[in-house]
Amino acid sequence: MSLDNFKRTLPANRMVFDVRRDMALVQRFRSDLEGLMESYGLSAEERDAFRAQDLKRMLALGVHPYFLTQITRLFHGSANNHQGSAAIQAYRRQLVDSKD
Amino acid sequence: MAQLVSCMAVAHAPGMTGWFDKAEPGQRERLQAGYADLGRRLKAARPDVVIGFGNDHLLNLPFDNLPDMCIGTAAQWEGPAPWFQDWLAIEPFRVPGKPDVAHALVQALDRRGLALAFRPDLLMDDNFSVPLKVLTPQFDVPFIPVHMNCLVPPVPTPRACFDKGALIARAIAEDLPAGLRVAIMSTGGLSHDPGGPRYFEIDEAFDRWFLALLQQGDTERAFAECTLERMRAAGAGGTPELIAWFVAWGAAQGAPAEIVCYEPTVGLRCSMGGVSWK
Repeated sequence: MSLDNFKRTLPANRMVFDVRRDMALVQRFRSDLEGLMESYGLSAEERDAFRAQDLKRMLALGVHPYFLTQITRLFHGSANNHQGSAAIQAYRRQLVDSKD
Repeated sequence: MAQLVSCMAVAHAPGMTGWFDKAEPGQRERLQAGYADLGRRLKAARPDVVIGFGNDHLLNLPFDNLPDMCIGTAAQWEGPAPWFQDWLAIEPFRVPGKPDVAHALVQALDRRGLALAFRPDLLMDDNFSVPLKVLTPQFDVPFIPVHMNCLVPPVPTPRACFDKGALIARAIAEDLPAGLRVAIMSTGGLSHDPGGPRYFEIDEAFDRWFLALLQQGDTERAFAECTLERMRAAGAGGTPELIAWFVAWGAAQGAPAEIVCYEPTVGLRCSMGGVSWK
């Protein structure tokens, strides 16, 4: 994990912080991500990164790296989060196996 | 004078409850035995309250107002927070708090020059839900959580955490009500790296080196060598949670720790284990 690009002031960080505290926001993350991102004032670049579920782009924009594993769970589910789970595989494909 | 009756530190990986079947069978047995042993020690100490120190995991301490430590002042705690329940496979539980003790500790530390943030509304994820479930499965010992910043620079150094632990122990002994029996349970680590490139590995060499430092009781060497940078090299996303262990070590006045259990559980994406101080 590198904190080199982490930005405390990034709107996406506030959005993810709040979402994990409130199941209504978890539901909104899944049903109305566009509206949620609008209400938190995410930049066009941040919105594109979330639409594409692009973890590397999120990292480059300043999302806290600890959130990346949490974001994959928001997209893919939390239960039975072992190495074979969809959330973990999504993380592995982008941040471990990918060489670019 | 209150009494510090127990002091321990344990790892709290979500896999311990959420997907424990992915650890190797021998490791599972040894960890279950080790954590059960720690649970028995805690119960045998007959604490009136357990004060827990652990990473906040960016859940309660907001980026725009981020203290090093925040003590929980609620009369009752509910865990795990809803979004974390299926992840941890822990059914909702309730554990009593101790607002009078939490407030008294805040005031005692204010007088001693350490200002703790305090709140009644802290949510629990794996940080305290896992150790409470494993160590105190009846959830019947009053609990005070202290959420720490382990992941957002500037993170307090191991020495600063040790010194805070020592100060907290003095405040417990000298300022909390006579007869009160207090346990300290720090939680975090061991090597793991959620959000980093080492997410699918652990650093057994680091873990064993770190545990040996505690076992030897060599605080000066630990401050010199077990830096935040060294912890980050062993997995920046999670290993620095070990600063919570320095709080307990400071409360134990730097005494040598007894290693109760340790397993490099790759299947849990985190090494697990625990230590106890006399």
